Amino acid sequence: MIPTLETKRLVLRAPELSDAPVYAAFFADAAGSGNYGGPLRADEAFHVLCRDLGHWQLKGFGKWIVTLHDGTPVGGCGLIHPEGWPSHELTWWLLTEYRGQRYANEASRAAIAFAYDTLGWPVVETHMRDENTAARRLVERLGGAKTRRATFPDGVTRDVYSLPRQSAEAAA
Amino acid sequence: MIPIPTLETERLIMRAPGQQDLDAYADFYASERSHMVGGPLTRIEVWRWLASVIGHWQLRGFGRWMLDEKNGSTSIGLVGLHYPEGWPEAEIGWTMFSGEGKGYAFEAAQAARRYAYDTLGWTTAVSLINPANTRSLALGKRMGVTHDYDYEHPQFGTLAVWRHPSPEALQ
Repeated sequence: MIPTLETKRLVLRAPELSDAPVYAAFFADAAGSGNYGGPLRADEAFHVLCRDLGHWQLKGFGKWIVTLHDGTPVGGCGLIHPEGWPSHELTWWLLTEYRGQRYANEASRAAIAFAYDTLGWPVVETHMRDENTAARRLVERLGGAKTRRATFPDGVTRDVYSLPRQSAEAAA
Repeated sequence: MIPIPTLETERLIMRAPGQQDLDAYADFYASERSHMVGGPLTRIEVWRWLASVIGHWQLRGFGRWMLDEKNGSTSIGLVGLHYPEGWPEAEIGWTMFSGEGKGYAFEAAQAARRYAYDTLGWTTAVSLINPANTRSLALGKRMGVTHDYDYEHPQFGTLAVWRHPSPEALQ
């Protein structure tokens, strides 16, 4: 069962078949999806959607689709821990036209609160490539503290951050 | 989450794929035998496919089952209903990891087709077969498929689309 979360401007809900064009559009954009393994063809993007859903089933947590309150999808956000990866990760993605409005920040706060309060995790972590300054900035705004450097199965060494519980007002 | 149904045939249990299948799935994708279905793949990549197989059930309401022998090996193959983006139609597909030569794929594919026709109400079904995969085609022919058209897939190349007998024809 994938829960639905609500924030002031956003809804985080289970991915569904109607989101396939959203995934396809995001991954067709080489610049926007470059940090996420893109660009990908529509058939490949469909498998990412399948995988995101299967992750919930295999792990009990995963990525939500993020929409505005009117239902318009703007991206995705959630918690993942793929097989073979040394640690879990808070992750988010936004269609380029919805960037710059702090939607990733708002959705991330809800996901972090879910991890601490519902999943009962002792710590929430994330990591990013050194050149991904946008992600680093967001993590710093979320109060993230760099805890270590780690080399991941893809051979890339990244900074790992721990993210604190978010205050109630900030998450609302 | 829709529950993934369990089917039972004479010799097999067809059930939801899960984490416990990763070893067998990864062994298969590490072998040469996976070359005609997109392999070889690393264990990490195979886990992503496993998640994708499970997610397909949620998106489409149908999907592929993992096969266990009733009294024997588990995770011996993946057989069922498959309709990802980029596929021309919903298909009945089969991939055996082990236990070949016993007619298991045939037994499971027949059960999958019955499920598609009787439970889901499909009026037609195809199987996409790599022309080089003579074993897979032999199984298709045992199920009565006839060649319908060829399809160019961006990753897998030319795939022959074989059509199954209609529900009425199987009555």
